[in-house]
Amino acid sequence: MTEALKKIRVDFENVSLAYGKTRVLTDVSIAIEPGEFFALLGPSGSGKSTLLRLLAGFLQPRAGSIRVGGEDVTRVPPWERDIGMVFQNYALWPHMTVRQNVAFGLEERRLPRAEVERRAAAALDLVGLGEFGARRPGQLSGGQQQRVALARTIAIEPKVLLLDEPLSNLDAKLRIHMRGELLALQRKLGITTIFVTHDQEEALSIADRVAVLDQGIIQQVGTPVELYDTPANRFIATFVGTINLLRGALEAAGGGTVFRSETLGAIPLAGATAAAGPAEVAIRPHALQLAAPGKPLDGGRSWLDGTVTEREFLGEFVRYNVKVGAGNLVVDQPHYMGESGFAPGTGVKVGINSAQIKLLKPA
Amino acid sequence: MAGLTLRLPFRARADFTWSQAAVAALIAAFLLVFLIVPVVTVVYVAFADGAGGVTLSHFGSFFSLSLMRESFWNSIYVGVWSVAIATIIAVPLAYFTVRFEFRGALLIQTLGILPLIMPPFVGAVAMQLIFGRSGSVNLLLNDWFGFTIPFMEGLNGVIFVEALHYFPFILMNLVVALNNIDSSMEESAQNLGASGLRLFRRIVFPLAMPGYVAGAALVFIKVFDDLGTPLVLHQTNLLAPQAYLRITSIGIEDPIGYVASVIMVIASLLALWLAMWTMRGKDYATLQRGYAGLARRRLSPGQTIIAYGWIALVLAVVLAPHLGILLLSIAKVWSFSVLPDAYTLEHYATVFNDSPRMIGNTMLYCGIAATLDVVIATAIAYLMLRTKVPGRNALDFTVTIALAIPGVVLGIGYLRTFRGIEIPFTEGELLTASWVLIALGYTVRRLPYALRSCIAALQQMHVSLEEAAENLGAPKRRTIMRVVVPLMAGGMLAGFIISFMTAAVELSMTLMLVSSQNDAPMSYGIYLYLQSAAGRGPGAALGILAVLIVAVGTYLSHRLLGGRANTAGDIQRMA
Repeated sequence: MTEALKKIRVDFENVSLAYGKTRVLTDVSIAIEPGEFFALLGPSGSGKSTLLRLLAGFLQPRAGSIRVGGEDVTRVPPWERDIGMVFQNYALWPHMTVRQNVAFGLEERRLPRAEVERRAAAALDLVGLGEFGARRPGQLSGGQQQRVALARTIAIEPKVLLLDEPLSNLDAKLRIHMRGELLALQRKLGITTIFVTHDQEEALSIADRVAVLDQGIIQQVGTPVELYDTPANRFIATFVGTINLLRGALEAAGGGTVFRSETLGAIPLAGATAAAGPAEVAIRPHALQLAAPGKPLDGGRSWLDGTVTEREFLGEFVRYNVKVGAGNLVVDQPHYMGESGFAPGTGVKVGINSAQIKLLKPA
Repeated sequence: MAGLTLRLPFRARADFTWSQAAVAALIAAFLLVFLIVPVVTVVYVAFADGAGGVTLSHFGSFFSLSLMRESFWNSIYVGVWSVAIATIIAVPLAYFTVRFEFRGALLIQTLGILPLIMPPFVGAVAMQLIFGRSGSVNLLLNDWFGFTIPFMEGLNGVIFVEALHYFPFILMNLVVALNNIDSSMEESAQNLGASGLRLFRRIVFPLAMPGYVAGAALVFIKVFDDLGTPLVLHQTNLLAPQAYLRITSIGIEDPIGYVASVIMVIASLLALWLAMWTMRGKDYATLQRGYAGLARRRLSPGQTIIAYGWIALVLAVVLAPHLGILLLSIAKVWSFSVLPDAYTLEHYATVFNDSPRMIGNTMLYCGIAATLDVVIATAIAYLMLRTKVPGRNALDFTVTIALAIPGVVLGIGYLRTFRGIEIPFTEGELLTASWVLIALGYTVRRLPYALRSCIAALQQMHVSLEEAAENLGAPKRRTIMRVVVPLMAGGMLAGFIISFMTAAVELSMTLMLVSSQNDAPMSYGIYLYLQSAAGRGPGAALGILAVLIVAVGTYLSHRLLGGRANTAGDIQRMA
């Protein structure tokens, strides 16, 4: 149990699923590398849990195939797949003790009694619940129940570990703690792990790579940094983090390209060589800078005139809504002790660093 | 009661108000007089030596009588076998309705109400005509294959009739239990490698076990309690008929009848205790918000044939007594033939001439009983779930115990406890000779049903709904009248109907307490008719009328409340 498990790859190949005429998944292809900690991220109803249940075998795709370790498992029943799943509600059986719950999968594999005992105990020790074997699930806290569910699943040493919204039933503090523990456990076991979440912070913070789904379609697969810095489309840009989206058109001006926003006016782009025409750009709030009028301005940025309309204090930074021309920009400014920032109604200068402007592909 | 409402200073307020305590005390007094004292009296007489001391000699003489020993073992035998046969019928039906996609589910659920509106002793007569030695089925079997099956011979008949009438108690409890299992319970087992029969044995069945045990215990208690069926089938070597016959033929002083009563109470209490002990700490309702119950599967063609075949067979057998009674009520002559030889409506005319009074009596007694039940049950439910009045759980416990007191025993207890007591403000009319005791007896016997219904209704109502009313300025009493009672209306109506229906078909206690024809309700009349071969037609006709009255009453009260109450659902949940 302590030594690393064999690392296995998982491939979804052109998987589609529909209930009647409702398309749940459309042509989903994902290649998950051996030993990867992989997140399926999306709003509710995006099909991410469905994808997990397809892999576990509780659903059959209408088209496409699913491979585990290169082997096609699409038609294999759930109980022969060896793919461990931790359920969102933990699904601990109330008529069994914690130890009986953990031993269940081992017993189903007809292992000798002694080995069942040994591996169940080892799994419980691994999640720090060695003392709780004789209790009933109902006598444990939510966090402990989740550890039991985890122990029950890893006890069978599955090929792949699936976690369905693993942290959603925990309170905020415990959630962050368990996040770290899950990651540590996954690294220790080296098991390919796929987890489903609707919380982008959760996905970005622990996953090696993330697949973002919307309406049953893969929007982007990439590392957290890739998703954040180079969103593939408008959905990713707005779903991952906060962002300002500006519509307008690209124009050639002088030696470079200028983005002419419908509401804000012209903003020069650094090194952009895109063809002229309608376009949309995205700017993160913290990439913008505010300055009081009359102060010396950084020449590396282009500056627009605006008025603060709202101010939201968030601790590490202050989030401003700034009216610029006919439009609106969200600007985050770091907060330091003793600073009072800009009050609503104050006229300000908004500085845009052209290197931080991301040109989105036309939708 | 209003005078008892003392206004205590707000900060020094006790955990309960005086008016709450007064209501609790009033209910406790009622239960004491009409449940506890009569039962304790029966127990006391069974152990009393006549000189103020305690003796086991009555038990000694009971077991020295071979008839009594036989009756004792027969009762256990019939109880256990009835549960076993009912299980064989109910478990596949429950599994089919919950696990598979098929069209018979609603039909099966509807079966659940059938035994409540048709007492088993009425069905027993029809069963003899259909399954008896020279009944329809055996006549056909003999003609076609040259053999017969002794369905109705001796105790077989009692077991067969009881199992067919009471299997829905197991069915309904099991269906609820199975429906409460979250699909993830099963999926996680599949995920860990379990499937098929092992999955059922290790996960599904243990999780549904409490529901099964509750249903099985109820069947056992009901069978032990039933006096009408053995009498109609002339199988008197059972405890209930023996207790009844000893008291009515030898007299109210005969201790053997009391010993039989005590043994019946102990057996029923044991069954109840066993059920509670099995279910202790096992609230397995695992359904989570946003999750579905067990996945329904499509049947393969082979499975479809088996499932529908089983259901058709069970339906045919279950509906047989009901159809039989209907036929009997319009049959001119029906004997030694598959179907009646000629038809007539004269039995209904006979019944309308003879017994309009019985119909009126049933409406009166059951109306009083059901009304009292709902009032008391609502009060207990409120005291239990919303107040901290001391003894509130003891009230619930006592009412539940009433479930395990056979009607014969409570009847004997009443006769003994209240003998010689005159009703106040009458000219020497004896309480034991009056219909008042019948109505009050029904009230006590049916209170457990009404209570479960009202508790369920109140449990589903979030306490914040009441807090909102109080927050907007409604005092406790106004809150109860304007918010609690209207929201509980569905559950209260279900409680009323179930109390009314089951009281209308109650016979065990009725036989003990009816002292004159004038006071007899319909169930008594049906029984009297069925005693003689000539009375079968009118008896069946009266049985059909009883079913119609109950059905019409249920429909009307349901209409009265409109779509507000899911009464049918409530009743099914209860049953």
